[in-house]
Amino acid sequence: MREDRIRNVLIVGGGTAGWMTAAALSKIMGEIPDVQIELVESDEIGTVGVGEATIPQIQLFNSLLDIDEHDFVRATNATYKLGIEFVDWTRLGHRYVHPFGFYGLDMKGIEFHHHWLKGRALGDPTSLDAYSLAIVAALQGRFAHPRRDQPNSPLAKISYAFQFDASLYARYLRRLAEAAGVIRTEGRIVEVVQASETGLVETVVLQGGARIKADLFIDCSGFRGLLIEETLKSGFEDWSQWLPCDRALAVPCELGGDHLPLTRSTARPAGWQWRIPLQHRIGNGYVYSSAHISDDEAAETLLANLDGAPLADPRPLRFKAGYRRKPWIKNVVSLGLAAGFLEPLESTSIHLVQSGIARLMTLFPARTFDELEIERFNAQTIQEYVDIRDFLVLHYKATERDDSSFWNYCRNIDPPAGVAYKIDMFRRNGRIFREHEELFTETSWLALLVGQGIEAAGYHPAADLLSDDETLERLAHIREVIARTAHVMPTQDEFFRSHGSKSEVALRRAS
Amino acid sequence: MSNEHTIRNVVIVGGGTAGWMAAAALSRYLDNGVTQTTLIESEEIGTIGVGEATIPPLINFNSMLGINENDFVAATKATFKLGIEFVNWGGIGERYFHPFGGYAQDLQGVHFHQLYLRERSRRVMQDISAWSMCAVAAAMRRFGRPGQGARPPLTGLRYAFHFDAGLYAAFLRNYAESSGARRIEGKVVDVKLDGESGNVQSIVLADGQTLEGDLFIDCSGFRGLLIEQALGTGYEDWTHWLPCDRAIALPCSYSGGPDPFTRSTAYASGWQWRIPLQHRMGNGLVYSSAQLSDDDARELLLSNLEGEPLAEPRHLSFSTGRRKLAWNRNVVSLGLSSGFVEPLESTSIHLIQTGISKLLALFPDRRFNPVERDEYNRHMEGLFEDVRDFIILHYNATKRDDSEFWKYCRTMSLPDSLANKMALWRAKGRVFRDELELFATPSWVAVMIGQGIIPEEYEPVADALDEAKVASALEQMRIAILQTAERLPSHAEFIAQMLGERPAAPELPEFVF
Repeated sequence: MREDRIRNVLIVGGGTAGWMTAAALSKIMGEIPDVQIELVESDEIGTVGVGEATIPQIQLFNSLLDIDEHDFVRATNATYKLGIEFVDWTRLGHRYVHPFGFYGLDMKGIEFHHHWLKGRALGDPTSLDAYSLAIVAALQGRFAHPRRDQPNSPLAKISYAFQFDASLYARYLRRLAEAAGVIRTEGRIVEVVQASETGLVETVVLQGGARIKADLFIDCSGFRGLLIEETLKSGFEDWSQWLPCDRALAVPCELGGDHLPLTRSTARPAGWQWRIPLQHRIGNGYVYSSAHISDDEAAETLLANLDGAPLADPRPLRFKAGYRRKPWIKNVVSLGLAAGFLEPLESTSIHLVQSGIARLMTLFPARTFDELEIERFNAQTIQEYVDIRDFLVLHYKATERDDSSFWNYCRNIDPPAGVAYKIDMFRRNGRIFREHEELFTETSWLALLVGQGIEAAGYHPAADLLSDDETLERLAHIREVIARTAHVMPTQDEFFRSHGSKSEVALRRAS
Repeated sequence: MSNEHTIRNVVIVGGGTAGWMAAAALSRYLDNGVTQTTLIESEEIGTIGVGEATIPPLINFNSMLGINENDFVAATKATFKLGIEFVNWGGIGERYFHPFGGYAQDLQGVHFHQLYLRERSRRVMQDISAWSMCAVAAAMRRFGRPGQGARPPLTGLRYAFHFDAGLYAAFLRNYAESSGARRIEGKVVDVKLDGESGNVQSIVLADGQTLEGDLFIDCSGFRGLLIEQALGTGYEDWTHWLPCDRAIALPCSYSGGPDPFTRSTAYASGWQWRIPLQHRMGNGLVYSSAQLSDDDARELLLSNLEGEPLAEPRHLSFSTGRRKLAWNRNVVSLGLSSGFVEPLESTSIHLIQTGISKLLALFPDRRFNPVERDEYNRHMEGLFEDVRDFIILHYNATKRDDSEFWKYCRTMSLPDSLANKMALWRAKGRVFRDELELFATPSWVAVMIGQGIIPEEYEPVADALDEAKVASALEQMRIAILQTAERLPSHAEFIAQMLGERPAAPELPEFVF
């Protein structure tokens, strides 16, 4: 065994990020005999618990931990999610869905959307939504697992994620982590001790005097970045010129309205409102720009737009969009909000934690803390933030709204180069390219570009491999197969019942 | 090991459910190279085939014979049973469920029902069924077998079966014959007794054939060809407690999945059973001929079927009671020849099964030591009386006074054993189960509470438990049961899957280019 191996890992902070890290590290590194993973958290410090909505990648994380899906759904009050519905973003009264999964069917080696664009040019007015099983099924409240054994069915490639109670998820992971040997210490860190020569963090001191030493520290302390910023002065890259929202108010309410397996995002005069239906309640929040609306007005708007009675007072959050310039410095790796913040418009918060963990596992250090490896980690992390930022900026930039100063500001933003390029490429011949390993696929960009009203002037010339008549016939066939498939899927409620995955609270409410 | 005293010939008279159950068990367990089991039956004589519904101990009988449960369910068109739903018994419009398995969990040695009674005296409580794994699953029409590693509350899911008794007899006949039992087709016309001992020596068949035997098992039905007609054993009549003396049985079609429970619905002068099988619904009306004519009974039954009748109604007459000696000389009676108690608690097959196990446990040799016979008779007498008392409880514990029948039942004098049980319950909700008793405490609790007898107080020891803890424990148990039940497949799905049929999944539309 390597003499310079890491023996003690200390995770600082026990929110979603902290416990995700603890569960994953203990699962993977726990096999090495003398590696000890410890987590310190303080009950006094609340957790933010953002990101109740997720994207399909979370299934990888859960399966890494051998989590049984139905058990997890039951324990976290989770619901299924087939996409995000955007209301009033393009213009007031407009709505579209950014679905998981695919549109239609690629034909003759050409992506489906070119055939669809050709159909439009031939006078078929059908919207893109009719070709997504996720959208058609979700709008009818239906859900089913993919059927990989049925390759010719649109159900083969349906893709899904979850919406859950983040604090219950943290508790669930805590149980797994503790069972795998993670030691949890309750306490508030009052001092951080660095080695005088190297500057490596050596020890944290808790209120009351207890000291915890470690070789590697994972900073999951939230916005403040206790180690990465307060101790190691990483610096923060501010993106508020592109993403001006800097506050949020979060409030849960009673169940009401529809029960579709979708997250909903509704644009408001100075930001947008999320609606995340769980089994027992709905999570709501208003993300807004403090330069364009007062906190009181924001609270009023939020409370006036709930589907059920509020279950608490709105909880205020402040943030700044951007990222930590060096997410990993010396022996401190930051994850979660400590590493950066992007508003949860595309439910990416939990994914960023997860991909940070994956990257950390790939580049897991020895006590030599190789600079070249750390640079690679940092470059990849920053690229990921940039990619997501670009995708988010598109929502704000590509709008016709001019009904408030906020939207006038957003519409006139000078977008980052990546966004401008994506828009231009699509405008010409409907071309979409996924750069490097970026998170959002061609399907997601397509949904957004079309949903936000960007028109393509042409389509891929090779779509003419199908004759005009054949194109129209095939489009009609695809629509019909998708409509009929959605029709045989169970409703989400039936799905819960047949898998016994209703949560305790949901059952109690029903009985 | 056999010797000169070993029984060489066992002759079973009658091939209904009782006869073939006995033949199967004896051929399996007396496989000593000497004892030959022979069963005589006549295709001219119909079998009654009552008791399509059973209680959980039948699982033991089947496993004692090494019968694979899935094979059995397939062969007898069986469904699973989690208990019995009683409708209109405590009062018109009321219903309750008598579940198999107990209620939730006892706490610190205090019976669950005492905790429940205590809570109930303080606040409005849900029906006690909410704490029965079987009752909750049954209400949802769900079923699953608790596996080897099952944990509470799933372990509370005890079950029995509904099956086609004719198919069960055929299934057991096949088993018995392949284990060496011999079947002879024929009608018994004469029984010869040994002049000295008074034992049955042989029987004579219509074709003149004579069959000698050391031990005779009388499965000839109500008439008791050997035990009564030949030996004049005598019958103890219980009709003053259980006045129903007729039944009409009639299968019908039904739609939808089978319910995992038997239903018993009380009428003005009797009650109707409803037993869902895989392929049909068994129905029957049990009534008192003093109150209801056969024609009216038939009308009543026909107007309360949920599907098309699948046969002609079959009429049965009986008088409730028991043969004074279940085993007399060298004749052991099993099934209806040993006594009859209406199938309100699905005990008919159980009484046969217990008779068989007890006979095997006390199996005689040719010297017929009276000790064995007396022990057998004592045991069977106790069992019959327990069943009788439990059935009487259903008739007596009621508010109904809408007919002469119910007025009689509500006010009749009870056997001392039952009167004592009810008094103990009324005072402080206590149930004591005697040594041999078939029905356990939760069964008495289910019927007593279900039929509206609520004790005046609960046991003082229940007060020793912390009130908040008990309340939260009860709530946790209830939710755990509810959640566990939600996770079970539907009863219909379970059977379909067990029989290797894929549930009819809808066809998935496909892209065709």
